[in-house]
Amino acid sequence: MQDESAKQELLEKAHQLIKSIENDDDAETSELLTSMTAYREKGLFEEVGHLTRQLHDSLSSFALDDQLTDLTDKEIPDAKERLNYVIEMTNEAANTTLNAIDEVLPVTAEMTKKSDELSAKWQKFMSRELSLTEFKNMSVEITEFLDASCKNTAFVHKKANEIVLAQGFQDLTGQIITKVIALVQNVEESLVDLVRIAGSPESTGAEKKQEKGILEGPAVPGVVVEGAVNSQDEVDDLLSSLGF
Amino acid sequence: MDKNMKILVVDDFSTMRRIVKNLLRELGFTNLDEADDGQTAWPKLKAGNYDFLVTDWNMPGMTGIDLLKEVRANPATAKMPVLLVTAESKREQIIEAAQAGVNGYIIKPFTAATLKEKIDKIFARSAG
Repeated sequence: MQDESAKQELLEKAHQLIKSIENDDDAETSELLTSMTAYREKGLFEEVGHLTRQLHDSLSSFALDDQLTDLTDKEIPDAKERLNYVIEMTNEAANTTLNAIDEVLPVTAEMTKKSDELSAKWQKFMSRELSLTEFKNMSVEITEFLDASCKNTAFVHKKANEIVLAQGFQDLTGQIITKVIALVQNVEESLVDLVRIAGSPESTGAEKKQEKGILEGPAVPGVVVEGAVNSQDEVDDLLSSLGF
Repeated sequence: MDKNMKILVVDDFSTMRRIVKNLLRELGFTNLDEADDGQTAWPKLKAGNYDFLVTDWNMPGMTGIDLLKEVRANPATAKMPVLLVTAESKREQIIEAAQAGVNGYIIKPFTAATLKEKIDKIFARSAG
C-alpha cells in the first residue's frame, strides 16, 4: 500500500517512538503518535475517496442505461394497471356468471314445480280419475306449460352462452399476468446488474431489447399503447380502408 | 355456408378454445378440431382437408401470424379462409395481418354476435 520511502519514514518514526517512550519524553511520544495516526488516516481517506468515485461513476453509468428508468417510470405503473385490470376482469366474469345463474335458477325451479303438478294430474287422467272440467283445465295448463317451456329453455340456453363467453377472462388475464411475470423477472435482473455494477468498476450497460415484434397482449384501460385501436369497430374501419 | 365444413380452432389457452368451439357449435358448426399453437396446427392443416382456420395470434412455438403466412405460402392451403381472434390491437399488427392475407380480424374480448358477423361476411364473400 505504501511506497518504499513512505515505509522508511514510518519505520523511522516507530524507532523514534520507542526511544521517546523509553526516555519518558511525553511531548515527543504524543507528537509522534499523532503524526503516525494522521498518516494512517490519510491512506484511509484516499481509499474511501477512491471507492466513492467508483460508486458514483458506476451509478451514473447505470442511470444512463434507460432500462431501469423505463422500468420505474413506465413498466411498473403499467404493471399495476394491468394487475388492477385482472382484478376487474375476474370480478366482472364472476358477476356475469353468478347473475346468469341467479336468473336461471328461478326459471328452472318454476319449470320443475309446474311439471310435477302436471305430471300428477296426468297420472290421474291416465287412471281415469279426472272429471271433464278438470281435463279441460289440464289441457289449458299443458298448452301454457309447453309455450312457457319453449321460452324458458331458450332463455336458459341464452344464459348458458353468456356464462361460456364470460370465461374468456381466463385467456386475457393469463396473458396479462404472463407479461407482469416477465416484468418482475426483468426487475430482478436489473437489480442483480445494479449489485454487480456497484461491486466492480466496469459497468456493462444492459443491451436495449429490440422493441419490434413484441406483442402487446390484451388492451388494458389506463395503459396507453401507441398505435393501438380501441374497439372492434376501429379494426373493421381499418380493414375496410385497406380494401377488406 | 356449409355447416359441415371442417374448422380448426387454434389458441394456446384451452378455455378460449372451448369458448370459440362452443360459439361455433352454437352457430351450427359441428365439425370442429383444435390445436394449441401454430406448430401443432400446421401439420394438421397440411394433412387434414380443413375448410376454415380460426386462430389466436400470440402463442408460444409458432404464432398465428406465422401460421397464416405458412397457410398462404402453401398451394394446398393458400385459399383457406383464416380468421384471427386475438388480444393484439395495434394498427401495425392489423395491417400486417391484412397484408399476410387474413380474412377477418376480431379483437378479444369479443361477443358471439361479432364472431357470427365476421364468419357470415367471410363466407358471403367467398361464395360470391
